[in-house]
Amino acid sequence: MATQLQSSRLRRTAQWADVRRRGMGMWAYTLNRVTGIGLLVYLYLHLVVLSMLAGGPDMWDPFVNLARSPLFLALDVILIAGWLIHGLNGIRVTLTGLGFGTRSQKSLFVGLMLIAGIGTVVMGIMVFGS
Amino acid sequence: MTLEVALKVFRYKAGQPARYDTFRVRVPHTASVLDAIEAAWAQHDRSLTFRHACHHASCGSCAMRIDGREKLPCITPVRDVWRGRGDLRIEPLRNFPIVSDLVVDVSGFFQRMSTSGMVITRTAESYLPVAAGAADGRPRDARSVTLPEGVARVNRFENCIECGICISACPTMAASDKFMGPAALAGIYRARLEAPDEAESTRLLGFADGEHGVWRCHSGWECTEACPQGVDPAGAIMLLRRDLVKHRIRKLFGR
Repeated sequence: MATQLQSSRLRRTAQWADVRRRGMGMWAYTLNRVTGIGLLVYLYLHLVVLSMLAGGPDMWDPFVNLARSPLFLALDVILIAGWLIHGLNGIRVTLTGLGFGTRSQKSLFVGLMLIAGIGTVVMGIMVFGS
Repeated sequence: MTLEVALKVFRYKAGQPARYDTFRVRVPHTASVLDAIEAAWAQHDRSLTFRHACHHASCGSCAMRIDGREKLPCITPVRDVWRGRGDLRIEPLRNFPIVSDLVVDVSGFFQRMSTSGMVITRTAESYLPVAAGAADGRPRDARSVTLPEGVARVNRFENCIECGICISACPTMAASDKFMGPAALAGIYRARLEAPDEAESTRLLGFADGEHGVWRCHSGWECTEACPQGVDPAGAIMLLRRDLVKHRIRKLFGR
């Protein structure tokens, strides 16, 4: 047989993040990965930030002031959106993965993402209003 | 009434770098994409390689990507996928080795299907309302169909024409060559519906288990989305997972 051409593993794996001309399931799939990676990065940063406590008030207090800035509050809202999207989509994945709602996975996704959207708005109001 | 369409076709010949060639062809308004590709072959370049046979979505051999989506060009009208301007991109299926132009090597796919150890039969055809028509030619009402004893619902997984579209659309398949893939797993689910006894059913379930079986799927649902035959491979994978969980819980309690 003639020499066969096949894309590199890296290029093929990049399809995980390519949602162009894909269905809703793929959007959910990619969204779960993006939020999952985001939450993992946040967890690491959170532990780094907590380690600043060991430096005493001189190190901690300036950070607290920074954390109250509008930019940080906006990042908090993005974090909340990430938690909600990942957690609620996780419920959908668990349900369909156990054979429940396999025929309505799209509506399940839309419904749960609506809840995530409403939750993010409510929490955003609470974060900026506090 | 005719359409003049520009096909931007992926080209690859062994030992040469891959490229895209653009062919302008005039086809009837009702033409399929396969008709347009055949026109490009006949009018412009006889070295253009593509695979086809039946021209009516029975053989699955012509599967390819049209404007980025996996489709059967034989049943895809040009007017449905071409926006009237620009090029219509024609590419081979993803996740298969490319042999030449639009032809991919599907041997691994068929080996995977056969190593599942099953033969997909159509013995349940008469129970299936979608395909089975009444004598007057009109489709039967699904609710009036009597299913075999013990079968609550029949999903026509045997509708699979083994075109490989689900393999190309699957994002997990892109990352793992060892994954059994949607078609083989849907086939296992279908074969279990007609398993003669519990032992055979359990044996088939064993095929679907393992890190390269149903657990490798990451629920992208692209196989179900892309399937031209309405097979629901992702649904089958989820139902196999449910059965595996049940099976393991029963084993845990010694039943």
